[in-house]
Amino acid sequence: MASLAPHPPAHEAKPPYLGFGLGLRPQHYTDILEGSPDVDWFEVISENYMVPGGQPLRMLDKIRARYPIVMHGVSLSIASTTPFDADYLAELKSLAERVEPKFVSDHLCWTGVHGINLHDLLPIPYTREALDHVVERVSYVQDYLKRPIAIENVSTYVQFAHSEMPEWEFIAEMTKRTGCWLVFDVNNVFVSAFNHGYDPHAFIDGTPADRVVQFHLAGHEHNTSHIIDTHDALVPEEVWDLYRAAVKRFGPVSTIIERDDNIPPLADLVTELGTARTIAEQMLPELRMQRRK
Amino acid sequence: MKQAPKSDSAKAPTLRDIQSLLQEAILTGDDAILGDLMDGPLATRDTLFGVYRNAYASRLIDILMGDYPFLRGYVGDAHFRKLASAFIAAHPSHSQNARWFGTALPDFLQQQEEAAKYPELFEIAVIERAVANAFDSQDAPVLGFAGLAAYPPEDWSQLTFAPQPSVTLLQCATNAFDIWKALKDDAPPPAVRHPPDQQHVVVWRQATSPKVRVMSAEEAMMWQEAHRGARFGVLCEMLATFDDPASAPVRAAGYLQAWLAGEMLSAAALVPRKKKVRS
Repeated sequence: MASLAPHPPAHEAKPPYLGFGLGLRPQHYTDILEGSPDVDWFEVISENYMVPGGQPLRMLDKIRARYPIVMHGVSLSIASTTPFDADYLAELKSLAERVEPKFVSDHLCWTGVHGINLHDLLPIPYTREALDHVVERVSYVQDYLKRPIAIENVSTYVQFAHSEMPEWEFIAEMTKRTGCWLVFDVNNVFVSAFNHGYDPHAFIDGTPADRVVQFHLAGHEHNTSHIIDTHDALVPEEVWDLYRAAVKRFGPVSTIIERDDNIPPLADLVTELGTARTIAEQMLPELRMQRRK
Repeated sequence: MKQAPKSDSAKAPTLRDIQSLLQEAILTGDDAILGDLMDGPLATRDTLFGVYRNAYASRLIDILMGDYPFLRGYVGDAHFRKLASAFIAAHPSHSQNARWFGTALPDFLQQQEEAAKYPELFEIAVIERAVANAFDSQDAPVLGFAGLAAYPPEDWSQLTFAPQPSVTLLQCATNAFDIWKALKDDAPPPAVRHPPDQQHVVVWRQATSPKVRVMSAEEAMMWQEAHRGARFGVLCEMLATFDDPASAPVRAAGYLQAWLAGEMLSAAALVPRKKKVRS
């Protein structure tokens, strides 16, 4: 490991406010390049472009020439107790050098151990032991990539009996000790809060406002007794309500609609993104002024 | 009761323990992890943990469906799910990137009992894997007609050719290509046939689009020898032994023209002629 002594990166400037963006999906390449959609920036799934060549990288090169890009990974497995995959990290670093994203993010989760990858964002117990482990791993990745990363809260379905703190306290301590930024997925907070029976506003209140660099907005599937995070539907009203509370607490934060399945036409997502923009501009009039400039 | 029942002597499991148990629970159905979990306000820990169990299989099946759409179309949804489930059980993913998870599916199909009865399944899967690999294979410069014209005709016999990294040449014992093409064209697939000779199927990427076509036995031989570094003059001599010697240079030029037009080559190189040594 490059460094076993976790420490916040010194004097790293907070990533800039990017406005309102979308998760980049291959179905929309043509519409993006041939039209001028009302989208300020795009977030890309890092792994989709960690390939040798061909259309994915060619499209990404074209889109990054026109729009700010954020790289968002799903396989870093920051909380896994298995050592990092050196090839994966090297590919991630190489892609970041090529894309020059505004920042690189992944999730507070693990995806597998013992050499197996379950390709899911799996939950962790919020213990001091797990915190020390995650802090060490975040610090290692930041040293390796030579940049602070941003970590996103995931939707969870189970809680561990021996957790020692709420998720937001774990996250606050993680960012304090590593200097990492936070992606605040509003839908994920809503889903986890419902599944575990806590007030989602406690999550908002417990999250350090100065560390949040991005909001994710998405839809989910409500099964009465629990909610499954599907990211395949419109942002529901209750998530918009929580978004209002998040904007109120965190201020202007780069925001995307993140649709992973049932991908609608780009125009539909742009319309939905307009709702996010309208809400934020209603609550923060300076954003409207900024947009008119 | 919300919290899981625990004995007084129970020591909190480590993160490593938790991850091993949880992974085992997803892969094998072992329920030991449930003892470390809490019930939700409205759902039991069993129901809640089931979300992870269900998501695992369905996510990986979705990945395989995306990687092998025409194999799925050929065998039907139900049979594909059965094949995919067996593959997932036998081959848990060892790749960080889900892009490579399904790479071993064709080889898995070949090892199944039904492979001898339905050899076209393996071959359709191999074609689909080659298409997926061509799609995002490494970029390389393209040798076009202008690049070849840079060499004077008298030097052509001394030229060697480098293929694009995307090119894969397959040998099929069945008419898998015809079946694959029909499925791709949304047409009814033909009945399985076993032609007397193997069918040579080449897969590559032209610009950003994967291409698939059949090569004649002669063209496939010339491609393989060119790939091994044979000079164009030698390739013409080989074609002369394969079929009519008189038209061999014309046939070789025709194949080369198709490769250039299809952007299947990345470079040409001139091999210096050996100097004649006077005795």
